[in-house]
Amino acid sequence: MMTYTNRFIQLALACLAFALSSAAFAQQAKLCGLNNGKAASGQPILVGSVVGKTGPDDFSAGALAAKAYFDCVNSNGGINGRPIQFLIEDDQWKPEVAGQVASKLVKDRGVVALVGNGSFVEMTVNAKLYEQENVAVLASACAVRECFEAKNIASTNQGPVPSNISAVQWAVEKLGSKKVACIGLNIPSNGVWSCNLTNDWLKEKGLSGVSVLMNPGAPDANSALLEAVASGADTFLISLPAGLAQAFLKAGQDQNLRDKYKWISPTPLYKQGIPESIGAYWGDKVHVAIELTKWDGAGPDNKRWLAVMDKYGAKSDPRDTFSQAGFVSANIFVDALLKMDPKKIDRANVTKALKAVKNYRTDLLCGPWYFGDADFHQANHASMMLTVTKTGFKSETGCVDVSGKYYDKIRAMEKAQKLTGS
Amino acid sequence: MTEEKIAVTSESTALPRKSFATFPVTRPTLALLLSVAALILIVPPLLDALYLRVFISSVIFTIAATGIAVLYARLGLVSLAQVALVGVGGWVTLRMWHATGLPFEVNMLTGAMISGVVGMLIGLPALRMRGLFLALITLMGAAGFQILVTGTQFPNGGEGVLGIAVTSIFMPRPVLGESDEAMLRYVCVVAVLCVLFVELNRRTRPGRAWALIRKSEACAMASGVNVAFYKAWGFALAGFIAGIAGALLAATLGVLDATTFPASESILLFALTVVGGAYNWLGLVLTGLLFRAAPALLNDIGVNGHLAYVIFGAGLLHALITAPTGIAGQILEGLKQLTKRRVGR
Amino acid sequence: MYGVFLVAGLALGAIYALSGVGLVVLYRSTGVLNIAYGAIGALGAMLAWQLEQMQYPEPVAWVAALLVATLLSVAYGRLVAPYLSYREPVVKAVATLGFALMILGTANYFWVEAPRRLYLFTDTMGFELLDVHITGTRALVLVATLATTFGIAVFLKHTRIGLLMQALANKRELSSVLGVPVIRIETYAWLISGFLAGFTGLMFGDLVRPNPGALTFLVIPAIAAAIVGRLESLPMTLAGGLIIGVVESMSTLIKPIAPYRSIAPFVVAAILLLWLQRNRKLTFSGHD
Repeated sequence: MMTYTNRFIQLALACLAFALSSAAFAQQAKLCGLNNGKAASGQPILVGSVVGKTGPDDFSAGALAAKAYFDCVNSNGGINGRPIQFLIEDDQWKPEVAGQVASKLVKDRGVVALVGNGSFVEMTVNAKLYEQENVAVLASACAVRECFEAKNIASTNQGPVPSNISAVQWAVEKLGSKKVACIGLNIPSNGVWSCNLTNDWLKEKGLSGVSVLMNPGAPDANSALLEAVASGADTFLISLPAGLAQAFLKAGQDQNLRDKYKWISPTPLYKQGIPESIGAYWGDKVHVAIELTKWDGAGPDNKRWLAVMDKYGAKSDPRDTFSQAGFVSANIFVDALLKMDPKKIDRANVTKALKAVKNYRTDLLCGPWYFGDADFHQANHASMMLTVTKTGFKSETGCVDVSGKYYDKIRAMEKAQKLTGS
Repeated sequence: MTEEKIAVTSESTALPRKSFATFPVTRPTLALLLSVAALILIVPPLLDALYLRVFISSVIFTIAATGIAVLYARLGLVSLAQVALVGVGGWVTLRMWHATGLPFEVNMLTGAMISGVVGMLIGLPALRMRGLFLALITLMGAAGFQILVTGTQFPNGGEGVLGIAVTSIFMPRPVLGESDEAMLRYVCVVAVLCVLFVELNRRTRPGRAWALIRKSEACAMASGVNVAFYKAWGFALAGFIAGIAGALLAATLGVLDATTFPASESILLFALTVVGGAYNWLGLVLTGLLFRAAPALLNDIGVNGHLAYVIFGAGLLHALITAPTGIAGQILEGLKQLTKRRVGR
Repeated sequence: MYGVFLVAGLALGAIYALSGVGLVVLYRSTGVLNIAYGAIGALGAMLAWQLEQMQYPEPVAWVAALLVATLLSVAYGRLVAPYLSYREPVVKAVATLGFALMILGTANYFWVEAPRRLYLFTDTMGFELLDVHITGTRALVLVATLATTFGIAVFLKHTRIGLLMQALANKRELSSVLGVPVIRIETYAWLISGFLAGFTGLMFGDLVRPNPGALTFLVIPAIAAAIVGRLESLPMTLAGGLIIGVVESMSTLIKPIAPYRSIAPFVVAAILLLWLQRNRKLTFSGHD
């Protein structure tokens, strides 16, 4: 947990140094919050976050970015003078623990909202609690269906479905894919769900898709590859966490299958270290759909993200898609709170304010974002395509919206409720 | 201490009595009842939401550990599949509720019975084996269950035998345990019933048979004890209790996930049963706390999850080395010394 | 098509078998079934990966991995195991879970989950057999497993230390009375087992991926292989490991059971064990 006094001293020093450092500061674009360089000292506003940190993968990048942003806000006037106290809890990928830590944040500590949540188990277990306690969750790394279909949870990331379909949509158009094998984890609300919807999309377009599901308890990339080969597909959609996706590619290299198939993947492969760890063999042969903008994107908000991370984040904090998503969530949250009367910031009002967020535009996201008062939330459904080169990633497309019936419904709703402003 | 107990119980084999009618309330049992009553009345309102949840989990795994203790303390057999059996009970309970919508207690008993049958099947090799080998066979069972259940997942309101829906429907809590406070009371009451059920077994025919088997199977056989049956009975009982724990876990969360039931957790629960002390109820309470409350405490005070593993592993090793009779054994021994000294004065 | 699955299965089976052999050698001499076996190998593999990242030459990475694994194993054997030497075998075994958790926690703490890949020089070698591309690492793991099993069997039969190990395996107390230097012989067993753990870790890290969790719990299917050898017979353990690997890999072809194929180790072990024990009726404490 955070030792706040220490943080404050550090921040105060950092602020001083920053203020003294240059007059250019004044001319610089707004970094965060009120941007006035004054440390907030009022009554703290409690905000929580539940992330899956200890376990098969680390989903805390979003919360860490949110924390960096809140630290920046706190030393720049806070929420009209009130600092944000941010409590990050680790659900350890265990449903019981997820229930425990959410109770702690929501009931014991009385947080006004949760920001930057990222987990495989937390949303399923806690969706009901969040609804009962009327607390809103501005997540940033949703991976399971329940996360997108809960009343009080909305995420700034895309999740596996649009990301999968984006990659397939591009492969069909540019690479001429006809039959796609979707390699996912055998988890109903994750791999099964996202692969099924991908297969449905392919069917809608008169093509075919097949699911190859790996047992998450004992994932064996080699036999998954063999199963995918046996399926007769021409394209492999590797919808797996980065570590496993890489193992899958490695198995493909062992069999020297690179040129026999087309290789595409949703966002998880967009991770630092991937080009190096999959090796030069795969250069220019793997294509990835990404949910937010590129890390080195030239947009002002992306630059602001990097600046905030450098100044307020730890060196070890990841600078990846989920970090960007957490940054966006934190921005949306702070912007909403700044519009509120600082004396009337309580859970009920914050939930109301967050649910009213619509048409939020940032260059980190392809489209406008909204929370919306619906039973499901999927504001982010446009992606960009990249190709993994020997040394990095290169852009293939700009923002492309996902086609298909499933998303036509969402677009119709956005229009009807005027959520995107267009 | 155990030797003593065994001696007493085997003596009583010679003089069978109608134990069901004269089920004696001994001092430890009374102490258990009183302390649980106190716990139920006083503690829940004092706890915050986090620790309410943590203690619910702890009590549930105390129940599961009771099953391990039956086998270990009474028969000298080791089951490394108890957490998997908790999963079986949870699976059946969820499946039952989604299929029938019957009251929780009915589903719980069904889950427990099926879990008991599975436990007996896993324990079947026990008729020919013991010691490490038997333990490893049960571990293979646990590992197999882990693979199966990660493949099938737990029923959450879908169609078919497996009952998987993409969006989970939650099983409601029992009527008497709607809030976390009430649920803690509920699991405590069930825990006491389980301990009493085990006591009942121990003080009647099965208990006497177990004592003889533990001493010598040949002796037991010679004195007309159906060794195979009573060993299987022990496994069934342990499985039954694990099933109860699984049902309670399912009720607490409404859904279950395969990540809760890996084979390594079964090994860990056994290890902690040895650490807590398998020979009395205090040890089992400690086991539950070590299994669930200790990690939660580390998480609550902000210890890095990975470092918590290191601390936990070191603690486990240390406790196994320094407390051969379990921590409870040490505590009780200490208390005995104290009272002796007082009497001596 | 079948060739591919066979080769994949043999490589996987060789890893199971090699781990099983490491477990059996240790168990026979010390009575400890080392659940930390996988974790020990994991730490070695992670260290090798780290050294490769730091641009050290590959032999340094190999030596470091093998050395660290051996040291960890010997350290446990000398410093911790003696405290538990008079406890029952199950307690000795579950105690090593504590050690496994410590190593796993440490490895996860220093190597947070990230895409990693371990490169070994054997990856670039390779040849075609029956239309299947076989990498050098796969060939190496199979050959090494066969050679190690054979080598250890010879060592146990024809060297003094090997004979003493066998003596310990048979009658522990008696051997010590007869003047067998128990501690020293046990240390050799921990050493050999640790070395094998390190090697298995490297191979698994290369063939699958260097991931502490996956490597740590590899020990459970390895125990299945050791069970087939009744924790005693090296050839049976070898055969068990290979059969398990091939069955597991071949199951991929049978659609309905394909998703559950990793259950193969436990099913094979349980069936073989029950069959091997079919003639036993009574059990007596002390005779497992």
